[in-house]
Amino acid sequence: MDVIDQRTITTVKEAVAARSDGALLSVTQPHPDTLYFAIDKRAMPAVVDGLVNEMRARFMISVGTDKRPVTGEFAILHLFSLDREHLYILLESPVAEEDLRIASITGVVPGANWAEREYRDAIGVHPEGHPDPRRLLLADDWPEGVYPLRRDFPYNYQPPPAENVRPQLREPPAGASVLPMGPFFPVLEEPAYWRLFVEGETIVGCDTRIFYNHRGIEKLGESVLTYNEIPYLAERICGICGFIHSTCYCQAVEKAAGIEAPRRARYIRTIMLELERIHSHLLWLGIAGHIIGFDTVLMQTWRIREPVMWLCEEISGNRKTYGMNTVGGLRRDLPNQIKPKLMETLAEVEKEAIAVRDAVVGDTTLHARTKGVGVLTNEWAKKICTVGPPARASGVAIDARIDHPYAAYDEVPPQIATQEAGDTWARVLVRVGELLESIRLVREALSAIPEGPICAEIKEEIPPGKVGVSVVEAPRGEAVHFVLTGGDNRPYRWRVRAPTYPNLQALPAMILNETIADVPITLGSLDPCFSCTERLETIDRRTKEVRIYSRADLLEMSRGKARRRGAP
Amino acid sequence: MTASFVTVFLPCLLNVVLALFLSPLCEGIMRKLRAAIHSRLGPPITQPYWDLLKLLGKEDLRSTGGVVYASLPALTLGSLLLLATLVPMGTAAPLAFAGDMIVVLYVATMSGVLIMLAGFASASPYASIGSSREMMMLLSVEPILAIALSVGAFKAKTLALGGIVNWQVQNGPSISMAIGGVAFFLALQALAGKLPFDIAEADQEIMGGSLVEQSGPRLALFRWAIWTKQLVFAFLLVEVFFPWPRVGIPLLDLTITMLKVLVVLMLVAVIDVVNPRLRIDQAMGYFMRVAVSSLAALAFAVIGK
Repeated sequence: MDVIDQRTITTVKEAVAARSDGALLSVTQPHPDTLYFAIDKRAMPAVVDGLVNEMRARFMISVGTDKRPVTGEFAILHLFSLDREHLYILLESPVAEEDLRIASITGVVPGANWAEREYRDAIGVHPEGHPDPRRLLLADDWPEGVYPLRRDFPYNYQPPPAENVRPQLREPPAGASVLPMGPFFPVLEEPAYWRLFVEGETIVGCDTRIFYNHRGIEKLGESVLTYNEIPYLAERICGICGFIHSTCYCQAVEKAAGIEAPRRARYIRTIMLELERIHSHLLWLGIAGHIIGFDTVLMQTWRIREPVMWLCEEISGNRKTYGMNTVGGLRRDLPNQIKPKLMETLAEVEKEAIAVRDAVVGDTTLHARTKGVGVLTNEWAKKICTVGPPARASGVAIDARIDHPYAAYDEVPPQIATQEAGDTWARVLVRVGELLESIRLVREALSAIPEGPICAEIKEEIPPGKVGVSVVEAPRGEAVHFVLTGGDNRPYRWRVRAPTYPNLQALPAMILNETIADVPITLGSLDPCFSCTERLETIDRRTKEVRIYSRADLLEMSRGKARRRGAP
Repeated sequence: MTASFVTVFLPCLLNVVLALFLSPLCEGIMRKLRAAIHSRLGPPITQPYWDLLKLLGKEDLRSTGGVVYASLPALTLGSLLLLATLVPMGTAAPLAFAGDMIVVLYVATMSGVLIMLAGFASASPYASIGSSREMMMLLSVEPILAIALSVGAFKAKTLALGGIVNWQVQNGPSISMAIGGVAFFLALQALAGKLPFDIAEADQEIMGGSLVEQSGPRLALFRWAIWTKQLVFAFLLVEVFFPWPRVGIPLLDLTITMLKVLVVLMLVAVIDVVNPRLRIDQAMGYFMRVAVSSLAALAFAVIGK
């Protein structure tokens, strides 16, 4: 791992001390790459301004914590990253119960918009001077003044039913009409409501309401589950990048508790993470094709993707949601005899992925639909703090694997590719490049993987009050998990920020003055994942009977009906 | 009376039955081809018939009232069946005495306009955007049809489709008619609502456009109309621009024509599968260029090529 420059740490400390104007309460360094400042809340905007505009720090997320049982106060924490210096900066301000207000930083960092609304909804600390203080997280029929992430709020509370409630949505400008996209719409696999203001076919503005599916996962982690149960819940945050969330959570706890996962476990995590990126990018390429009516791309990329899923099933027992991660390492080893098959499948996938890339890159109609469409400027990408491929396609060279190396990326570093154009085509190119790079990474990790244990032995209980910040570069961008350890064998606060959270906030600027036809592909080019962002899950508990269907059974079920009608 | 029954009514019936009952089969074959290119097994080729049966058996739900709105699906299908009787399909057009090329052009436009009306009347923002796109497509494609058919009329010195076909059979291929045929084929792709020109439906953008509010039997009739449309226009293309070989035995001629129509529809299906959807402004620009190029056909016709 890159050593953090001691001079950087001194510079940051001095800058924060200078800007806080005597309001600095304490400075600690809970982990070599983490600086933790406690400052008085009146100095917060000035310090943030200094960090962002002078130190080029990137805002990641805000965490609102109800610390009343410990300190008697609430705490608002803003998390920043100094990407080049591999450093996390945590700024925390206590907020007294008598005065539940803190100055908003959205004016300084536009990307903090949702994060501030979220802590307001969750614990009831009001960001003063916020430009758009409407509800974000809570449902429209949720009662006023009830804050779900406060410690005295029971996890299984059910609010009374409400009637005649509707989201507060903006009205279109004069002369424009409303075209609703959502809450259920063909190209959105999950619910999200985009209220497009259109003049003819041209978009002149939009408003949005999402978080229809908030699942209260963080609350469950803080109140019901224990450290070693949460990885399974974290994995279910997303149906595509589940392993990313479980890895990110485990790493955060390991960091907080000072546990070092064994090298072999780190390599296996790297391999699984990259396999996930391979199948996720193939999935995305197919969906992007489908959005602009190019179903051949969808069918072919998903066919290519399928062997990767089978491989994951052979390694973990599941196509998705592997259940391999645990605090301290892994529960399941990567069998050595699978290596030849892995290599073989990768070679096949690589060959076909290159064929698809060449077909896609040379398709002029595809250029017509994606070049210059949905442009995210470099300046706005930085302001809104976008991450992952959308950021890299706009010339922002950030990648968690390089900036905050985790797992085995310090020994098998990726080559990251950036594009400058910032349009949909650039995002296609970035992802196609990453797809092939991931295949290389898996190969390299496989050949360098050491023998040894896969899980660290944890002898002592995890002490309370420790902080751990971890990032993982998901296919969609950087996922962030923040853990504050607590007593009774569970986190006191667990904060998840999925990559789509910042990326979606960039959409309104990207679709302005585009046509209706360009909105779905522009949204699609962000590779949005609402379940990550909102953290939802549904379970069918009707049938208790267990029957295992083989692949042949399922194919027979889907084809049998057609065959009975006389098809071949 | 009996004579007109045999010479007019029976051929009309033949054309209508052909158009009505072959169109789902053609659609089924096109779907199968699409599936093959997708590496899928695909539905059985009889699936469109089952689709129609299923939709026809469903409840008739309407988003608005009114006699016009209620009758639009039947009128749309009807207009295309009328077109079928005006177009030569293997033999001379049965209703040829009732109308020439100009009438064909008018009747050909009707179905598009009716679907557009259905969209505007159904009071959905998606449908009205779909309808306005349909209108723009219609305005871009109509001139191409007119120019392409005019080339034939100019060469054969007649406005009767039958006359053009006969002239073609007697005089063999010519550069001008070949260019006109290609232009007509490109227009056919848009008339059939296939990619890259399925802009007025665009499921992923406007959820089916003009027909978003249609369901059950009404949707069945609209679907049927659209399938019939692609078949009748394919017949028109094949008969007017590529009528050879003509052996003189009606049944054999009909079979050959149908094979050619199938080839044309397969081409349409392949283009549909290998292209993403264009934006409406891009499509209009494209057809503008096609229209200008098809003027070359007229120029060739003037110098006798």
